[in-house]
Amino acid sequence: MNKTIDLSDIDPNAKGSEKTIENRIRNWARINSPWAIHYNSGSCNGCDIELLTLITPRYDVERFGVKLQGSPRHADILIVTGSVTLQSKDRLIRIYNQMPEPKFVLGLGSCAISGGVFQNCYSVVQGGVSNVIPVDVFVPGCPPRPEAMINGLIILLDIARGKRQKSDYSQPMIIPSPEQDSAQAADKKESEAE
Amino acid sequence: MDLGTITKIWDSILQMSAPHPLICLFFFPGGLFLILAALLYEWADRKLVARFQNRVGPRVFQPVADMLKLLVKEEVIPKSVNRSLFIVLPIISFACVMTASLYVPMFGVEAPIGLHGDLIITMYLLSVMTMCLGMAGANSMNRFAVVGATRTFTQLFAYEAPFMLALLMPAISAQSWNINVISEYASAHTWMIATIPIGFIISVIGLMGKLELAPFDAPEAESEIVSGALSEYSGRGWGLFRIAKDVELVIGISLIVTFYLGGFGNLVSFLLKSLGLLIIIALLQSSMTRLRIDQTVGFWWQAGAILSLIQLMILILVRIL
Ligand code: SF4
Repeated sequence: MNKTIDLSDIDPNAKGSEKTIENRIRNWARINSPWAIHYNSGSCNGCDIELLTLITPRYDVERFGVKLQGSPRHADILIVTGSVTLQSKDRLIRIYNQMPEPKFVLGLGSCAISGGVFQNCYSVVQGGVSNVIPVDVFVPGCPPRPEAMINGLIILLDIARGKRQKSDYSQPMIIPSPEQDSAQAADKKESEAE
Repeated sequence: MDLGTITKIWDSILQMSAPHPLICLFFFPGGLFLILAALLYEWADRKLVARFQNRVGPRVFQPVADMLKLLVKEEVIPKSVNRSLFIVLPIISFACVMTASLYVPMFGVEAPIGLHGDLIITMYLLSVMTMCLGMAGANSMNRFAVVGATRTFTQLFAYEAPFMLALLMPAISAQSWNINVISEYASAHTWMIATIPIGFIISVIGLMGKLELAPFDAPEAESEIVSGALSEYSGRGWGLFRIAKDVELVIGISLIVTFYLGGFGNLVSFLLKSLGLLIIIALLQSSMTRLRIDQTVGFWWQAGAILSLIQLMILILVRIL
């Protein structure tokens, strides 16, 4: 179900990775002015409300240069919230295509990762945003904390800088929590006992 | 080092040699220097608004990074637009404001070019920039951009007359159309903010209308019409429009400082005065919500135009009597 999308052909670092002065200036400018556009592709609105806290005084992301833009033509980062409904699938793709290169995608929330609570709904694309458009970074949570979103943005900027490999983050990374591990271990024991 | 020494050094640098006209045009005080100054002004504006909203705000080099990023970004040209117009309009608007800057005394330096009637030329060039914005929107064939363009033009007709009248009053007081002469008159007499207070208020608010800042940002209302007239512009074109607007901010502030706040003076006093103006503008920006376009028009024609006409009448009467 989780179809992998090959990202090597759209990697923005492929061309500009040589360390000439021109490329350095270019990269510096890109990293320091990431403008974002927010698209709600069928979220329950929880993630959207949490996203807006990022531009409030407490978490102000303008200090990293992040600005929310109205037009996809003006944005560098597409922030997608929610599982992609069949209705919004085409629009999401269109918005993605309207953005000028280089562009990045940030998936917010469990819904964007896997469909979350809307998984297996009749009206939802199965498997989250990464089955529709290539996603650079996912931020887990339902909804994610603002700190987690800022962390996601910083990881995204690291990718743009070339410090991290894009493909490491192109699929949802699920880090098992300790409780989960122990629960799984208990399950295993039970099944072995049977 | 105190401010007096800096001013003296600045003045001695200016007097060292009469710069070649091309240097005037490309480096100082026009061209490169002006662009950097404009980006600094944009930063100051954004930072002040952020501080008024209790945020941290952008870093100093933020506008520079924004601009460089826009210049190296892909420029998407939609299929349905008139291609050459789409490319040429940002360049024309940028050229207009850069030309207008040559007639305006800035940063304690006299205007490089002084003509009889250069006030009219400057105002005309600034209007052409707004016209370019509107035309770019209308050319974009995007329904949001067209709505934005309509609003841009509507707003242009709303604020333009009062704003022009507000800049006309100092000219009438000084009996000249030459910006340099008016600024000499202004520095020789009491500050015109005291003698023509209504003109000052209208010119500051008119500048905000011209720059489509907060209460008058219906033409680029993000929550309704994407990004207004420039929705379809990306990359270089949009970058040029943004620089043009920043330069327009500097020109507008310089004009108001020169006319109403006692001549262009020296560098330090100019910077202090323009910072004061920026604080006022940022305060107004962050304390008011967006007006609908009909409210904007109503505001300008009901309050702005009538007030400025009254002020003009008072001025003429004082002159005659
Ligand atoms: S992740 Fe949670 S909060 Fe976010 S859209 Fe899905 S259900 Fe709503």
